[in-house]
Amino acid sequence: MRTPQTLRLPAVLAAVVMLVAACGQATTTSAPGSQAPGQSAAPPASQPAGNGEVVELRWYCCLGGGDAPEQVEVEQQVVEDFNAAHPNIHLTFEAVPYEGARDALATQIASGNGPDIVGPVGVGGAEAFHGQWLDLQPLIDSTGYDLGQYPDSTVALYNTGGEGQTGIPFAIYPSALFYKKGHFAEAGLAEPPHEWNGTYTMPDGTERPWDWDTVREIAKILTVDKNGKDATQEGFDPENIVQWGFEPQRDDLRQTGAYWGPGQLASGADGTTVEIPDAWQQAWKWFYAGMWDDHFSMTGPQFESDELNPSDYPFFTGNVSMAPNYLWSTYGVGDSGDDWDLAATPSYNGTTTAAFNADTFRIHKDTKHPEEAFTALTYLLDEANDTLLTTYGGMPARPEEQDAFFTTLQEGFPNQVDWNVAKEGVEFADVPNFESYMPAYNESLDKIIEFGTKWQSTQGLNLDTEIESLKTQLQSIWDQEG
Amino acid sequence: MAVLTQPRSRRLVRPRGLAWRRALWGYVFISPWIIGFLLFTLGPMIATLGFTFTNINLEQAEPLRFVGLRNYEKLINDPTAIHSLTVTFRYALIALPVAVALPFAVALLLHSRHLRGSGAFRVLFFMPYVVPFVAGVLIWQGMLGSEGNGWVNNFLQLIGIEHPPDWLESTTWIYPGLVIMGVWGIGAGVIIYLAGLKGIPSELYDAARIDGAGAWASLRNVTIPLMSPVVFYTLVLAVVEVLQYFLVPLVLKNGTGQPGGSTLFYNLYLYKNFFAFQDMSYGATLAWVLFAITLLLTLLLFWGARRWVYYAGEAR
Repeated sequence: MRTPQTLRLPAVLAAVVMLVAACGQATTTSAPGSQAPGQSAAPPASQPAGNGEVVELRWYCCLGGGDAPEQVEVEQQVVEDFNAAHPNIHLTFEAVPYEGARDALATQIASGNGPDIVGPVGVGGAEAFHGQWLDLQPLIDSTGYDLGQYPDSTVALYNTGGEGQTGIPFAIYPSALFYKKGHFAEAGLAEPPHEWNGTYTMPDGTERPWDWDTVREIAKILTVDKNGKDATQEGFDPENIVQWGFEPQRDDLRQTGAYWGPGQLASGADGTTVEIPDAWQQAWKWFYAGMWDDHFSMTGPQFESDELNPSDYPFFTGNVSMAPNYLWSTYGVGDSGDDWDLAATPSYNGTTTAAFNADTFRIHKDTKHPEEAFTALTYLLDEANDTLLTTYGGMPARPEEQDAFFTTLQEGFPNQVDWNVAKEGVEFADVPNFESYMPAYNESLDKIIEFGTKWQSTQGLNLDTEIESLKTQLQSIWDQEG
Repeated sequence: MAVLTQPRSRRLVRPRGLAWRRALWGYVFISPWIIGFLLFTLGPMIATLGFTFTNINLEQAEPLRFVGLRNYEKLINDPTAIHSLTVTFRYALIALPVAVALPFAVALLLHSRHLRGSGAFRVLFFMPYVVPFVAGVLIWQGMLGSEGNGWVNNFLQLIGIEHPPDWLESTTWIYPGLVIMGVWGIGAGVIIYLAGLKGIPSELYDAARIDGAGAWASLRNVTIPLMSPVVFYTLVLAVVEVLQYFLVPLVLKNGTGQPGGSTLFYNLYLYKNFFAFQDMSYGATLAWVLFAITLLLTLLLFWGARRWVYYAGEAR
């Protein structure tokens, strides 16, 4: 059947329109990396908008949380409020689920179509995009933004790696030792100390420093098999453990180590020599022995088992007695029961350290409208501060807001929690932070995770040899980067 | 002479009148696809080929510049890249025979006239194929688990195997484990083979029977030769798929390559370089080398096909 001539032209036009519509999303972009990190000395000039023209900005989320539906709803409302208060700026919110957020952002930036504002994002999440952040110092100076309202240590957290002041404090997450009171009572053990740098009373009445050796001893007592025997008793069955005494923070080996002592892997004058802090090495050996010899921590396969650890953090199951973790883990800790509380983290060689997380918002260095982006950034940090901190569950970086935060947080739990432990824990934050810059950040982190996974799944390794191998392989990656 | 050849040549080069208008409208109607292909497939492909000769990466700490064959040199000297290629070929050695032969065997069983309720079986075999891939991997992770909750191992223990394989944590057993997972998705292959089997004329089987051929002889001399184009098609697709094997190790082991680097497949390493390590130049180089390997193997298969693939309509 032949198509009448009169119908052909509209059909062709429709096809062309569809094609143009499909291609119409392309945006004029700049080449990635057109500006070296830390270069800006004067406030970068915004590209002028025409008379009465509205500046378009994009806020990219969620490299480190903020993607839950209820959070997205709040974030959208914040954006609407901002737009209503700033008729010359139109902010758009882009929520990409955490699992794909890094890939999507890498693709956007590589194609020269990066967003203006990114966050909330932690130190590590931001370092994964090292060199992509705008130095805010010129804008802070030109607008007179008051950094004095934050403790110096948290301000300094965003001024590392030679990129300038790439962030302003927003949410902080200090660490503490989460523990189950019921497990301690059942084992006839004293509860761990709430005072930092405190002591612990052993079952025989002796006072011991609250350090990792002490934790090892009581963790074994708190580890119980299905026959009710603990890990110190004859006939204990490590194949059938029902309660573990201790769970480390194992998201990556650096933070496992950071609870033993602050440090970072990069050393040397130019930061290109791998140096693994001694405290981290001891932490890793302790953790390894805890899994495979002492049995008070889950092995890798046990940790990966949905039956034993359905929500990624074994403490949430209620079958783990002690676990150092950040304050953000309060989102799921209620699942462990209503008899948990917070204690101080143990010391190593007389020094107590509590690894530290912090989230904030950043401005992408290639933004065409840095001044407007800074206006939006400070709106998120100031006017929308309470709303966003509540939805993210973040502890305010401003000290005067912290008491109110803990009052609200307590309302979510039936048991009275000693929040003062977490509040005082800020003083013991790891400085330098374990997530600080290292060369070839993503590839190095991948290598670190590879070793961590191997140790968790392989028994009988010589950890000295393993650590040396990790060091060598990291150095090889860094040398190639150079 | 010139008078004789001119009209033929003119007809071939410049179709006129109705034929020309038809060809033009044909091109107009397929132009959206052609433009889309040029812009979104061929263009990016050429761009990535260009990337392989530069130092482009996300951080771009040093200025963007032409680096010649440096990325290819790096690949040759990169033990992880070589290792990931070895991993891929090692897996292919086990996976390919299963991916080609098992659906064929199942299709033969489903095609049997002695099978009652073959329609129901076809649905059952195809059903896993429509389950989202990631969900399927997570289900199999539970099935093959070793920490007291692996159904497969529980069953093996029940029938007296005291120490069943550590499917997902052993460098030896991980590949059979992955192949078992892959078996779940044979439904599509079974359907293709079934379509091929239904296309074999029954007269050939009748003639074979008259000649005294039994079931085995009919299979060997009728079914297999006539199914050889379908087997070849399945083999080519399986080779391409196995070289691009990616999603299962990514979901199963979070892309760590564990246990012991045995799941660090080439395509996974490529992905990590491109997106996780943000080294676009090296990622593109790995991609182009994969393309070359795939092309080479496919050409080899086509070359070899002349010896064993039988096309009924082809003069031999």
